[in-house]
Amino acid sequence: MMAFRSAFTPLLTSAFPTRTTSGTLSLSTFANSLTEHCTQTVRQNVSLLDLCKLPPASAYVHLPFCRKRCHYCDFPIIALGSSSDHHHDDPRISSYVETLCREIMATNSTPSSCPPLQTVFLGGGTPSLVPPRLVSSVLDALSSKFGVCGNAEISMEMDPGTFNAAAMKELMGLGVNRVSLGVQSFQDELLKCCGRAHGVDEIFEAVEIVKSCGVENWSLDLISSLPHQTPAMWEESLHLTIQAQPTHVSVYDLQVEQDTKFGFLYTPGEFPLPSENQSAELYKMASRMLSNAGYEHYEISSYGKTGYRCRHNTTYWKNKPFYAFGLGSASYIGGVRFSRPRRLREYTNYVQALENGVADHTQSEGIVEPKDLAMDVVMLSLRTADGLDLKSFREAFGDSILLSIFEAYRPYLESGLVICLDEQRRNVAADEVMSNEKLAYLRLSDPDGFLLSNELISVAFAVICP
Amino acid sequence: MPSLYRASKSLKSHRIPFNLFHINPNFRRLDSTAYLNPIFGWTQCAFFASQFREDPSIDLNQFPSDRIRNFSIIAHVDHGKSTLADRLLELTATIRKGHGQPQYLDKLQVERERGITVKAQTATMFHTHKYLGTDTKFLLNLIDTPGHVDFSYEVSRSLAACQGVLLVVDAAQGVQAQTVANFYLAFEANLTVIPVINKIDQPTADPDRVKEQLKSIFDLDPNEALLTSAKTGLGLEQVLPAVIERIPHPPGNSSSPLRMLLLDSYYDEYKGVICHVAVVDGTLRKGDKISSAATGQSYEVLDVGIMHPELTQTGVLLTGQVGYVVSGMRSTKEARVGDTLYQTKSIVEPLPGFKPVKHMVFSGLYPADGSDFEALSNAIERLTCNDASVSVTKESSSALGLGFRCGFLGLLHMDVFHQRLEQEHGAHVISTVPTVPYIFEYSDDSKVHVQNPAMLPSNPKNRVTACWEPTVIATIIFPSEYVGAIITLCSERRGEQLEYSFIDSQRALMKYRLPLREIVVDFYNELKSLTSGYASFDYEEAEYQASDLVKLDILLNAQPVDAMATIVHRSKAQRVGRELVDKLKKFIDRQMFEITIQAALGSKIIARETVSAMRKNVLAKCYGGDVTRKKKLLEKQKEGKKRMKRVGSVDIPQEAFHELLKGS
Ligand SMILES: Nc1nc2c(ncn2[C@@H]2O[C@H](COP(=O)(O)OP(=O)(O)OP(=O)(O)O)[C@@H](O)[C@H]2O)c(=O)[nH]1
Ligand SMILES: [Mg+2]
Repeated sequence: MMAFRSAFTPLLTSAFPTRTTSGTLSLSTFANSLTEHCTQTVRQNVSLLDLCKLPPASAYVHLPFCRKRCHYCDFPIIALGSSSDHHHDDPRISSYVETLCREIMATNSTPSSCPPLQTVFLGGGTPSLVPPRLVSSVLDALSSKFGVCGNAEISMEMDPGTFNAAAMKELMGLGVNRVSLGVQSFQDELLKCCGRAHGVDEIFEAVEIVKSCGVENWSLDLISSLPHQTPAMWEESLHLTIQAQPTHVSVYDLQVEQDTKFGFLYTPGEFPLPSENQSAELYKMASRMLSNAGYEHYEISSYGKTGYRCRHNTTYWKNKPFYAFGLGSASYIGGVRFSRPRRLREYTNYVQALENGVADHTQSEGIVEPKDLAMDVVMLSLRTADGLDLKSFREAFGDSILLSIFEAYRPYLESGLVICLDEQRRNVAADEVMSNEKLAYLRLSDPDGFLLSNELISVAFAVICP
Repeated sequence: MPSLYRASKSLKSHRIPFNLFHINPNFRRLDSTAYLNPIFGWTQCAFFASQFREDPSIDLNQFPSDRIRNFSIIAHVDHGKSTLADRLLELTATIRKGHGQPQYLDKLQVERERGITVKAQTATMFHTHKYLGTDTKFLLNLIDTPGHVDFSYEVSRSLAACQGVLLVVDAAQGVQAQTVANFYLAFEANLTVIPVINKIDQPTADPDRVKEQLKSIFDLDPNEALLTSAKTGLGLEQVLPAVIERIPHPPGNSSSPLRMLLLDSYYDEYKGVICHVAVVDGTLRKGDKISSAATGQSYEVLDVGIMHPELTQTGVLLTGQVGYVVSGMRSTKEARVGDTLYQTKSIVEPLPGFKPVKHMVFSGLYPADGSDFEALSNAIERLTCNDASVSVTKESSSALGLGFRCGFLGLLHMDVFHQRLEQEHGAHVISTVPTVPYIFEYSDDSKVHVQNPAMLPSNPKNRVTACWEPTVIATIIFPSEYVGAIITLCSERRGEQLEYSFIDSQRALMKYRLPLREIVVDFYNELKSLTSGYASFDYEEAEYQASDLVKLDILLNAQPVDAMATIVHRSKAQRVGRELVDKLKKFIDRQMFEITIQAALGSKIIARETVSAMRKNVLAKCYGGDVTRKKKLLEKQKEGKKRMKRVGSVDIPQEAFHELLKGS
C-alpha cells in the first residue's frame, strides 16, 4: 500500500494544479494519513449503527455512454451509435458532463466535517468514451467540492477499442490510477453473441496500452455462464487473463435480466445457457485457477493480488456511506439509499431541483431501522472473504440476534458452507462454535458457500426480520 | 313500521352492498338491531339477510293440513332435480320465469361453480288445483336435495319433513346407484314415491326401459311414472296435480300442543341463528315462548315465516307447514338438527329426530401462507354455523403448527368445505391426507380410536393385538360388459362381493363390502374411467372389520413428518410408500444439503429417494447501486421460505401437502 501511494503522489501534483498552488495538497496528504489512522479507529469505535451517518469518503460517478447496448445489460446507459467514432465532440456527452458537474456542485456538504474523498469510481456505461478533458472537469468538480486525497484510488471503467495510449496517458495525468478493463470474454464468438462492440484483438491491444502506459493497478473483468460458453472456453479466458497479469480480476456470473435481449431469448439454466451445475463448475474453475495464480478471492466476484483489493468497492461491502452522481446512480448518505432518475430528462430536472434546493434527499432525516441496517451489514459483509465482524455486529444489534443467526446456520456450519474464524482468522470447528469464546468472524466458504450466498443470506434475513 | 323503515334506509346508505331495494320496493330490512350491532361484518353468506320480506297477501291460516303437501325431489346426481325445482317454482310464479340463474336454489358459490347441489333447499309454493271438483289453493313445500352420496344425510333430513317424493330418473341413464339409495331412504320412511322420468327430450332417452327398471327394481307401477323434460317444460303440468292427488297431507294434529322438528340451521349476520322447522303438531306464532327438548333452553319467537323461496314473514306457521324461525339463539350450536322444539311449559313427547351424522373421513386443516391460526379458527367457526355436519377439534402438528382435525361425510364434502372456507371466509388452508377412523387394540387391553395417524405411535410400547377398519356396503350399477373390470377393481380394493344381479337386459348391479379407506380417495374416478363414465356408485356405512393395518411414516432426513403419516393395509404399504416418496421428490426443491425422503413402517425403510443439494443460485455482483435491488431479491427469497413448512431443517412447500392429497 505504501509503495503504491508514494509512487502515485507525483502524478497528483499535475492532476490538481489549483490545489497545489493553494498549498492544500500537502495538507490533504497529511489529512489523508490522518484519515487512514482515523479509519482504523472508526473500525474499532464507531458502531455499525453510526457508520452510515459519517460523511462519505467515496464517490461513484456514472458516465452512461456506450456505443451500443450489450445484450445482457439493463443499466441506465445512453447508446451513441457505433457509426460515430468521434465522440470527442459529441454534444450529448459534453452537455451530460455539464449537468453532472452541476449536480456535484449543488450537492449539500458541510466542508468542515467533510473529509476529502479517498476513492472515486468512474463507472458506466463506457466511461472511456468520454473525452479526457471532460473527465478532467468531473474530477475538478469533485476536488473543488469535496477535496480528493493524494493517495485516493481513482478507478475508471474502460472498454477495449475505445481508447489509445495517448488518452490513457492523459487520463493518468488527471489522476486516474486504476483501470477496470471490460474484457468479458476471450472468444470472438462469445463477444459477438453478447453484442460487445469489440473483438479479441482489441482486448490484447487494450491490455498492451494499459501496461505500456504504466497503469500498475488494473482489473480485468470477465463474465461467466454466457450462452454457448464451454468449460474449455472459460478455461482459455482464465488462462489468458492470468497471462495478462492484472492486479485484480472481476468475474461476473451472467444475470439474465428481464428487459434485456438475453432475458427475451434465454431462460436461466436452459440451453444455450449452462445448467446450474455447469455454471457452478465454471465458478469453481475461476476460483481455483485464480487462487492458484496468486489472486485472493476476497469477494464473491472479485479477486485481487495482495494489496490490490478495490478500495472503492470495499466501501460498499463495509456498508460505509458514499456519494453518487449521474444518471441512475445510487448514493448512500446518512443511512439513506437514494437512486437518481434513470432517464436523462428526469435526471436533468432532478439536478435543476437540487440547485433550487427543492430536492435535497441527502439531508432527509431517514430514520434508519436497525433491522434494515443489520440486513444490509449481513448481506454485504457475507459477500466478502473477511466476512461478518461478530464483535461490531453484536455491539450494534445485540447478542440474541447473533445467536439466532448461528442457530439458523448450524446445519451449514456443519456442512462447511459457513465458516467461523477466530481473531487470527483461523477456522473454528463447527462443534466448537457455540462454546468458543474467541469467535471473531463469520464467513461463507469459497467456493461452495459463495455459490449459495443468496440462499444463505436469505436464511439470515429470515432470522433478522421474521 | 315507519321507524324500522327509516333504519333500513340509513342502513342502505351506509353499508348495504346490494341493490335489491331498487328491484322490489317490498323488500324491507326489518331488523333494526342489525344496524346497531357493529360486531358482525358482512360476508358473502349473508345473502339471505338481504331477502327478508313481507308479503301481506300470504295468509297461512288459509292452509289447514289437508291443503298442504310436503315433498322432496330426490335422484341420482345430475338427473335434473334442481332444474325441475326451477320449473315448478316458475309454474307457481314463486320465481319469475327467466329471472335469476338456472338451478335457482343452488345459491352457494361452490354449488354454482360445480353445478351440484350441496345443501338441501326448501321452497314454499302456492298452487290452485281443481280438487274434488272445486278450485282449491294448496300450499306446497318443495325440498330440492343433493344427489351426491356424501350428502345423503341432507336427503334423510329432508325426508323427515315430507310425506312424499318425486323420484327423478334420467330417461337416458336410467336407474343409477343414488337412485337406488335414495329410493330406499324414501321407502323406509314410508313416503309416497312419484317416479318422474326426466330429460325425455334427449335423443337417447328411453323411457320404456326406465319404466321396466322401476318395475323390476322398485316394484313401482310403470303407469304411475310421469314423463317430463325439465329443460323444455314438456309434461310438467302433470307434476303438481300428481303431488296433490297422490301424496297424503301431513298427518299432524292442529289441536295438540306445538311440536316442531328442527331440520336445519344457519347463521345470518343480521338475524342471528335461523332455524328451518317443520311444524308437526299445533301452531307456532311470533311472540311464542319455545323450548328445546335437547338443551332445555327456552327462547322467544322473534320472527317466523316461510321460504318463498326467500324468507318471507308470516307471523305464524300451522300444523304441517315448513318454515323458518328466528328465536335469538346465539350460535348454531344451540340449534341441534333433529331437535324437537315445543311450547315452553307444555309437556310433549320428543320427535324421533335423526341418526347422528357419521363422519367418514378426517383430515387436519392448518393455516397456509403464513396466515394465522386465529383467522382460520374464526373462518371454521363461522362456516360450521352453516354446515353443522363437520366435526372440529383442535390439534397440532410439528410440521404445520396449530390446526384442526375435522370430520367429513366424504371426500366431496371435505372439498366443498375447503372451497367454502376459502371463498366465503377468505381462509387459506393446508389440509393433510384424509384418513378414515381406525381402531387399534393393544396387548395391555387399551384401545385407540385413530382419527389422526400421527397420533399412533410408530413403535408402540405394547404389541398391537388387533386393528379395525370401517367398511361400507357399496352399490355399483353399470353396463354388463364391464363386469370383469369391476370385479378386478373391487378385489384390488380388498372388496368382498355380496350381490350380483341384473336390473335389465344390459345393466348389472353389484354390491360389495369394501374397506372405507379403499373408496375414499380415487375409487370413484377409477370406476368412471374403467367404464367410460357409465358406472354409478353409492355406499352406506357398514360395520368395522379386523384388518392388518400399519402406520406408514414419511421421513425427511430421518425426521418424521407427522402431517404426512398414514395408516394403510400391510399389503399396500410398499406401493403407497413408493408413491408418496416419488411425489414428494417432485415437490421438494433442492436445498443447500441433500435431502433423503423415506417411507417407513416402524423402523423399517420401505422406499427412499434423495433430492441432491443445490449447487448454486443467482450470484449477482453487488455494488453501490445494486444494494437495494439485491436486498429486495433476497427478501423475496426469504418470504418464499416463510411460506414453506419446515421439518428439521428441510423446507417443504405447501404444494407438497396439496399434492399428497391427490390420490394415495
Ligand atoms: N336435456 C335435458 N337436460 C336437463 C334436463 N333437466 C336438467 N338437465 C340438465 O342436467 C344437468 C343437471 O341438472 P341439475 O338440475 O343441476 O341436476 P341435479 O339433479 O340437481 O344435480 P345434483 O344436485 O348435483 O344432484 C344440467 O346441465 C341441466 O341443464 C332435461 O329435462 N333435459
Ligand atoms: Mg341439484
